[in-house]
Amino acid sequence: MTTVRPASVEARLRDIQSITDAALSRLDDRDLLAELLDRTREVLQADTAAVLLLDFSSGQLIATAAAGLEEEVRQGVRIPVGHGFAGRIAAGHRPVVLDRVDHTTVMNPILWSKGIRSMAGVPMVAGGRVIGVLHVGSLTPRRFTAGDVELLQLAGDRAAAAVQSMAATADRVAVDALQRSLVPSALPAVAGADMATRYIPGSGAVGGDWYDVFTLPAGQVCVTVGDVAGSGLAAAVIMGRMRSTLRAYALETADPAEVLGRLDRKMQHFEPDALATVGYAVLEPGLDRMHVALAGHFPPVIARPGRPAELADIQSGALIGITPDTRRPVTTVPVPPGALLGFFTDGLVERPGEVIDEGLGRLCRAVTAQSPEMACAAVMGALVGNEPARDDIALLMIRRHAGREAGADA
Amino acid sequence: MPDARFPVETASGVPVVVTPEEIDITNAAGLREALGDAAGRGPGGFVVDMSRTRFCDTAGLHALVGAHKRAGAEGGGMRLVITGPAVARIFAITGLDGVIPHFASLGEALATASGGTESS
Repeated sequence: MTTVRPASVEARLRDIQSITDAALSRLDDRDLLAELLDRTREVLQADTAAVLLLDFSSGQLIATAAAGLEEEVRQGVRIPVGHGFAGRIAAGHRPVVLDRVDHTTVMNPILWSKGIRSMAGVPMVAGGRVIGVLHVGSLTPRRFTAGDVELLQLAGDRAAAAVQSMAATADRVAVDALQRSLVPSALPAVAGADMATRYIPGSGAVGGDWYDVFTLPAGQVCVTVGDVAGSGLAAAVIMGRMRSTLRAYALETADPAEVLGRLDRKMQHFEPDALATVGYAVLEPGLDRMHVALAGHFPPVIARPGRPAELADIQSGALIGITPDTRRPVTTVPVPPGALLGFFTDGLVERPGEVIDEGLGRLCRAVTAQSPEMACAAVMGALVGNEPARDDIALLMIRRHAGREAGADA
Repeated sequence: MPDARFPVETASGVPVVVTPEEIDITNAAGLREALGDAAGRGPGGFVVDMSRTRFCDTAGLHALVGAHKRAGAEGGGMRLVITGPAVARIFAITGLDGVIPHFASLGEALATASGGTESS
């Protein structure tokens, strides 16, 4: 057993400089991680360096980047938190040094079969929680010193910051792609009605707003609008599942309360932590009437020709994800020829420091029974203006044609 | 550390979270922490006194609903004190008034909380 390089103060400063080098920041995050692993290996005179990242859903550490033993990454090594060398570091939130590497101390067979004899590893911490592990290994027996571990922890902190930044970017890109794929690219053609929509992802934490509109085989038009609690990729994924679940149940029953009830049962069973508001409306084939059930969502705004717009008088039922087996009220709303309906999410009407009725009032004043495209433009102009959207905004306007060209059976 | 704007007090032996004038996306995380703190103080449930609150957006509602679900699952209960029309309005719009037990005064909420019944 040897202790490598009892470093002089100068050498140690050089090592710290190598790892904390500001020039590293000019690399993009993925290159930074690779360069950091190379430098870590170099300053610690180690043969391997690897980063394993914690997958929060499975509780496993997954080999993500390596210098020296790239097989770990290529084979997708997974170590459960609490088990083996890396798992102990993550579970204990503290460094571990190993003088003996074999199947009793290290789970990953690649490490001992390739002849790694000594190891040291540190937790990577971001935002107060462990997000991964950085470890180094040596093919010759040695004892990693407290000084080595300190240097390794510096590298671990730097790696944690890079990984956080990578994850945020990847999340953002994935959410944007998902939202584009989930919001219908084309609205269905409905005889006797026109539609228009707006969808604005929020500026900060993007998330789980959606709208959907589709026709049923018997000729009804279904409109769904909703908002999943939370933000980022997780909320967007749940939003996608809810949207397709609603389409599936819409084919099975024409009763809006039954559709929301089934959605709620499914969500509470398979996604017990999810919370969402949903509005669900079915327009009869002639478009004369609309049947609506709400799960904690705002009612649609309705503008009848020649009258000020108002929120449809619909009592809401419970949000999705709270109470088992609740039945939500169904309200039937007459839709006269020429009337315009607007479905929206909270981002449109909520402003900090303002009572919700102020936003709802602004919305009602901005909506008139005109073409849906013009109405969307008017609403966005009046309620959003030039402000960057703080929260997601989804808006769907549908207008029944006025006069005799109205519904198919008018 | 719970957010300083969300003190957890104790009244008649029951933890009480006092919410500020406005709850929105900027302080909902602080509310969530305070609710978790109150829930962790014992199995007897807790009260959220919203009588000072004039604005609560959906981020705040989500924090309350999450705490309500957890409080229900763990046996205790969460009770709200709602006096202002603005908060009552958002609870009505979202249907939460039929889900989370709520009261018109702190005294009533405390009486029910210490009694440990589940009605509203």
